[in-house]
Amino acid sequence: MSVAAVTLPSRRRRAGLLRSEQAFALLLVAPGLIVLLVTTTFPLLYLIWSSFQQINLSMPWVTGFAGLSNYAQMLNDGQFWHALGLTAIYTISTVALQLVMGLGLALLVIQIPAGQWLFRVVAILPIVLAPVVVGLFWRTLMLAPQFGMLDYATRSLGLGSYNWLGDPELALASVIVIHTWQWTPFAFLVLLASLAALPPDIFEAARIDRANALQRFWHITLPLLRPAIVIVVIMRAMIALSAFAAIFAATGGGPGTATQILNLYAYRTSFTNLNFGYGSALAVSLLVITLCVSGFLFRLRTARTR
Amino acid sequence: MSRAARRRAATSILLGATVALLLLWVFPILWAIVVSLKGEVEVLAWPPSVVFAPTLDNYADALAGRFSILPNLWSSVVIATVTTAITVGLAVPAAYAFARLRLRGKQTIGFYTLATQMIPPIGLLVPYYLILSKVGWLDTYQGLITVYFTFSLPFAIWLLVSYMEDIPHEMEEAAFLDKAGRLRTLWYVILPQVRGGIAVTTVFVFLNAWNEFLFAVQLSGNTVRPVTVAMYNFVSVEQTLWGKLSAAALVAMLPVIAIGFAAQRQIVKGLTVGAVKGGGRR
Amino acid sequence: MSAGGRVSLRGVSKAFGEVVALRDVDLDIEPVEFFALLGPSGSGKTTTLRLIAGLEQVSEGTILVDGEDVTDAGPGERDVAMVFQSYALYPHMTVAENISFPLRMDRVPKGEIAPLVHEAARRVKIEHLLDRRPGQLSGGQQQRCALARAIVRKPRLFLLDEPLSNLDAKLRLETRVELKKLQRNLNVTAIYVTHDQEEAMTLADRMAIFLDGAIVQVGTPEEVFERPQTVAVAGFIGSPAMNLLPGELSGRGVVVAGRRIELPRPPDASSGPVVVGVRPGHVRFDPDGLPAVLEVAELLGETTLLNLRLGEHPIRMRVNGKVRAAEGEPVAISFDPVAVHLFDRTSGQRIATD
Repeated sequence: MSVAAVTLPSRRRRAGLLRSEQAFALLLVAPGLIVLLVTTTFPLLYLIWSSFQQINLSMPWVTGFAGLSNYAQMLNDGQFWHALGLTAIYTISTVALQLVMGLGLALLVIQIPAGQWLFRVVAILPIVLAPVVVGLFWRTLMLAPQFGMLDYATRSLGLGSYNWLGDPELALASVIVIHTWQWTPFAFLVLLASLAALPPDIFEAARIDRANALQRFWHITLPLLRPAIVIVVIMRAMIALSAFAAIFAATGGGPGTATQILNLYAYRTSFTNLNFGYGSALAVSLLVITLCVSGFLFRLRTARTR
Repeated sequence: MSRAARRRAATSILLGATVALLLLWVFPILWAIVVSLKGEVEVLAWPPSVVFAPTLDNYADALAGRFSILPNLWSSVVIATVTTAITVGLAVPAAYAFARLRLRGKQTIGFYTLATQMIPPIGLLVPYYLILSKVGWLDTYQGLITVYFTFSLPFAIWLLVSYMEDIPHEMEEAAFLDKAGRLRTLWYVILPQVRGGIAVTTVFVFLNAWNEFLFAVQLSGNTVRPVTVAMYNFVSVEQTLWGKLSAAALVAMLPVIAIGFAAQRQIVKGLTVGAVKGGGRR
Repeated sequence: MSAGGRVSLRGVSKAFGEVVALRDVDLDIEPVEFFALLGPSGSGKTTTLRLIAGLEQVSEGTILVDGEDVTDAGPGERDVAMVFQSYALYPHMTVAENISFPLRMDRVPKGEIAPLVHEAARRVKIEHLLDRRPGQLSGGQQQRCALARAIVRKPRLFLLDEPLSNLDAKLRLETRVELKKLQRNLNVTAIYVTHDQEEAMTLADRMAIFLDGAIVQVGTPEEVFERPQTVAVAGFIGSPAMNLLPGELSGRGVVVAGRRIELPRPPDASSGPVVVGVRPGHVRFDPDGLPAVLEVAELLGETTLLNLRLGEHPIRMRVNGKVRAAEGEPVAISFDPVAVHLFDRTSGQRIATD
């Protein structure tokens, strides 16, 4: 049987059917992809290019190729390292706080027999607000010295009055509180939904196996929640690294440089000091850090699911 | 006390504690509402008063006064609506192709889309400021909206893909057998089933665009002035006029709060869908 | 649409990457036949159905429907209708919209659609459900909605992929009969995939038995039951399954479990190792027969199934009515020589005895 002669032309047509699906897929993806390419890749390349240039709009005569001098300057810059340290503290503490409080709240609320929807609705409120507004509210209504509500509370409790945002030692803690206040509900909602989705029969089996509440939490609940927890950590870490509006509105990076995380330092360098070359280098370093952190966290995620 | 009674007592305490915690948590917002209803003098009263004669003067001022935020609201509406419309329009077909069709280079494109979400905004602000100023697009709607695509498009694609993947594959097969071509299958069979996902994506993209600050504050000016920038400028202008500040801020946030309440079930589902399927923004 | 739907497969093979799902399959299905593709999971039967539907493309070979080569045609171009195992109903459309979808896609004039939809719904008795959505229907109703969608445009080929597997046992039996009647009324060729040999035996005019990606036998239910071509088929068809024992052929008889059975007709081969097959209904009590032990007796109402052990081999035996023997008791059995099947032990092929 001359199978070859029969199938050869049909193989060409068969390849045509696959190709038509690929063509259709390409047609659907192309517009979005092109927009994405143009809007992100090109500026990104420009950013990297500028980091190797001297661009200082406050001293416009200073131009030209800078090589690695911006990066060298960065490594010798005390403010850079300070900003990096603040970024680390800010990211780790906000994520940890959000996780612990979100999980705690979720564990509390899941046990409430009715009316859980009320908690969900209320939790949405801090999340939908613009971070800049959140920063403003806290700066004025809550943390203003003498007139803020927190001050009122501490004074009533006899703990005295403080300059929550103006005192360099308190400012970082204050912005951490603000960020945590806004985003803990996110962790809460995600973990609450994950808790609700856990199958009840394994808990019943555990109770029959005489596991007490703490053991059930540690050996069953927590491991089953691990995927959700990891996702929450990833998403919140990304937000914390690029946090800007709330801090900017609350302290502007100050007092001095007390709350100047790397994000803000890059902004100040570029738009206040108008040193775009160095600012680009700072931005590139933040980009690298973000990619590393996300890469690490993602690997953590796939390692855990194995 | 009997076991059942003890349990009920424990639940009541639990409920009480959690409700208290809840109220404490939203206190800043509640207080902002209270302050927005206070007159100038009342705001500075010490200790802060809870019982007073409320006034809507601050709201009137915010809408019709000298520093009315109405033009800002309009700016934000234009920016957020156009961004959302174009983003969703581009993302839906792309997500479909991604989730359900054989595409050459799917892995690479997928990785690229994910990677673009990892770019910190400051990393794009610096080049965009330089580029837009060269092209003369600073303080223009098209300039800002172009920048907004950088974070809304990859996010929308990523979110929609997870919704599209949930539909069983037999849907397309059944439709093909019923002689619907590829396009008609997408329109009549697939899209109606992801209506919820498209709605959630629209909500999130709109929220993100409305609340955006970093790009807005640097790339806008006198023509384009979204509410977030207006609010920021407010603080320096109206030093301790917190009544006005609160009222203006609440008005500025009214659209997103309204959407948040209206679509709360979808939003929660959207957050968890994203959480289950993989990391990303928001 | 006229009665039609003759299907031919020639040398069809299908591989998914490294995995070969179908190997060199030849098949002829006559018009208006109810043809079953029977086999265990992974045997290639569903792949064959999907190739006929056009949902997969062959790696090699040709497919002809009514004489025309459709090997490269898309699923919409072959005039086939399919009922999926999961029904694949469009959840966002009403039952009426689901059923009318193929007509709308075919651009049938609007005025003609409604009567056709009603007729299809009437045939499967879901006319009262036309305004509901699939989510509001029971499993059986969903299945009938899928059927109605398939028959509404009167295709020449009607493909069914294990359509009854999601129904409960009683519903399955009822629907089986209705399916057969439906096919007869519609006068259309039906190709039916199943792993349930009882379904195939009761529904099919002819069937093809698939094992490991190849067809091992094609025939009517009677042919397949009476003359299984291989050991595998013999063990697969019939419920309870045929007893299979190793034996040794010598001359005109066969030695099995230590005893010699004289065969009424000389077999084609003369000696060698064989597999002896006896259906449970052809095992009988015989005081001079082989010694066995009764392990478990299953009372099925009108018959009793006895699980015996003959030496080291389990044997099943079916008797009418009840049996007085107690579990653990020794019994003596023999096989009806006329009903004995012989298979070559190495190749598994049937050794003819006539």
